[in-house]
Amino acid sequence: MSMRKPLWALTAAAFLLGGCTSVGEGTDLGVYQLVRTKPTRVGNGSVEVIPPRAWNKQRRFFFFDSIRWVEDWTLNGPYLDGITFVSGLPSGEYLIRQRKTEERQVPKFRSDMTAPEVTAMLESAFRVRGGAVEFRTLALQPRQFMGYPGFQFDFEHLDADELWRKGRAVGAVIDGRLYLMLYDAARSHYYANALPDFEAMANNAHIRA
Amino acid sequence: MCARCDISRRSLLIGAGALAASLTTGRAQARIRPADMVPLIGPHFQPTDTDEQGLWQLMERAEEEISGSNLLIKDPQLVGYLQDVIGRVGGPAAKDMRIYLAHVPDFNAMMFPSGFAVVFSGLLLRMRNEAQLAGVVAHESGHFLRRHMIRSWRDMKRKSDIFAIGAMAAGVAGAGAGVYMGDYIQLAQLATILSLFRYSREMEAEADAMGARLIAEAGYQPMEMANVWQQLIGEENASAAYRRKHRRRPDLFDTHPSEDARFADLRISAAEVTVPGRAYETGRDRYIRTIGPIREMLLEDQVKLNDPGASQYLLNTLALDGWNGLLRYYEGEVWRLRNRAGDDARAAQSYAVAVAYPDAPADAWRWHGLSLIKERRSGEGKAALGKYLQLKPTAPDAPFIRQMIG
Repeated sequence: MSMRKPLWALTAAAFLLGGCTSVGEGTDLGVYQLVRTKPTRVGNGSVEVIPPRAWNKQRRFFFFDSIRWVEDWTLNGPYLDGITFVSGLPSGEYLIRQRKTEERQVPKFRSDMTAPEVTAMLESAFRVRGGAVEFRTLALQPRQFMGYPGFQFDFEHLDADELWRKGRAVGAVIDGRLYLMLYDAARSHYYANALPDFEAMANNAHIRA
Repeated sequence: MCARCDISRRSLLIGAGALAASLTTGRAQARIRPADMVPLIGPHFQPTDTDEQGLWQLMERAEEEISGSNLLIKDPQLVGYLQDVIGRVGGPAAKDMRIYLAHVPDFNAMMFPSGFAVVFSGLLLRMRNEAQLAGVVAHESGHFLRRHMIRSWRDMKRKSDIFAIGAMAAGVAGAGAGVYMGDYIQLAQLATILSLFRYSREMEAEADAMGARLIAEAGYQPMEMANVWQQLIGEENASAAYRRKHRRRPDLFDTHPSEDARFADLRISAAEVTVPGRAYETGRDRYIRTIGPIREMLLEDQVKLNDPGASQYLLNTLALDGWNGLLRYYEGEVWRLRNRAGDDARAAQSYAVAVAYPDAPADAWRWHGLSLIKERRSGEGKAALGKYLQLKPTAPDAPFIRQMIG
């Protein structure tokens, strides 16, 4: 999950600094892959969604962001909007890669977590990784996800870059694994802009047989 | 990754980068006596030298930017309170200094060269009383009153090449104007602006001595300043030990006696400025009364960072003044977020204790209920969740909790 301070962004920056001659708007340096409006497998491939319009998938770099159950998409760039897919994170795993010696850590997922615990884990991820200085839960309500009883979590947060962002997570723990779609975007304009895409995918997501 | 935590929490400890200058001399710094610390500026100070005037202009832009930041907590009562404290311990410049409260969960405070200070909300969480807060503010005032910023600025200009200075000045101006290039977590790192002003150990010692004098003159218990130092070191150690590593910068601190020496100096200075027979206050009641309304938020900010070593140390420190429902609840949160084997049981116990206190926050009932349900004590759990909804009927998660109650 990208959390506004994505490792891949550092990687991208390193590429940019590393002698790239034509740095500009159109240069993607292979960081993004186009996602077309057709059934698309996400994460480790166990979940499939159909995006209503083309999105950009952040390519994962081995060694840098190799959590294979987690995949990030964006429409306008990760500072403005993004969807994180979590496709069956097993118990004892983390949403993000982190060193054991870091003082501040995103808690690990456990299969017996209830929705309030999962949402608290997400909150810590935004605070620890995203640098959120304020985090507000707007709503937590029951919602079916991929045919299983799950939850919908709405929230907003003020990040250290002084931008308010707003998000929605829809998820469920299925057979002890975490399935989740997390949408997070700048609160003004961008959130409303891509929310219908997120909703469409949250409704058409399914576990592949 | 967490650059914000790396930089800002430590900068108070290392004095915004008290670097090698005095370390390399290899001799112990003689203690600076509070009695020798006279303010070098008077009321309504204005710079007359051109380089200082230029610096002030940059700082005016930085202040304009900071004062408009949405990271500031603007509650008039809190800000007024801080202004009162700096008014008491600001020496001759007390009426000239401005103070801003930034919503950043780190242990930090900083003084800018033109006489405005920024206090991080994480500092307010860590202070046990007003005297401790006054000690930190007085230390920062000391930097201003002793003209440390301009002194270090000139010193650095003498030593560094002109291009480096130009780049750094541009950086300050950029930060001041809100032009953040490359990095996007800038404002929380106000300390980085101040990295330009590297106080030497001598300057830190001066600020300590000046601060001790200022708080004693204002009638605060001078020993509280040494206690703050002890708490800061203790938290650092606890946090690092928890993640099974030595404290950061082991090369600088673990081998150098200065940290213990500084603590010892603060204690001697405190004794020195204490006038026998005079009553000194800690101002604890006033402090708790003022901070009370945001204490839950401050604890939330800290504990949700899942830094169990620091958070536990902090809770235990605050609990020296007595456990209550709020502290017990957050003790449970520390365990729950740490999430190691057995932590759920520890958390459950803390929640159970928390709700026995009359001041337990509604969320204590929420987690108490959820813990009971996980322990398969469904009936009791649902009752606790019911109590949560009763205390907080408009809770944003009420629809989900209601479903759990069934």
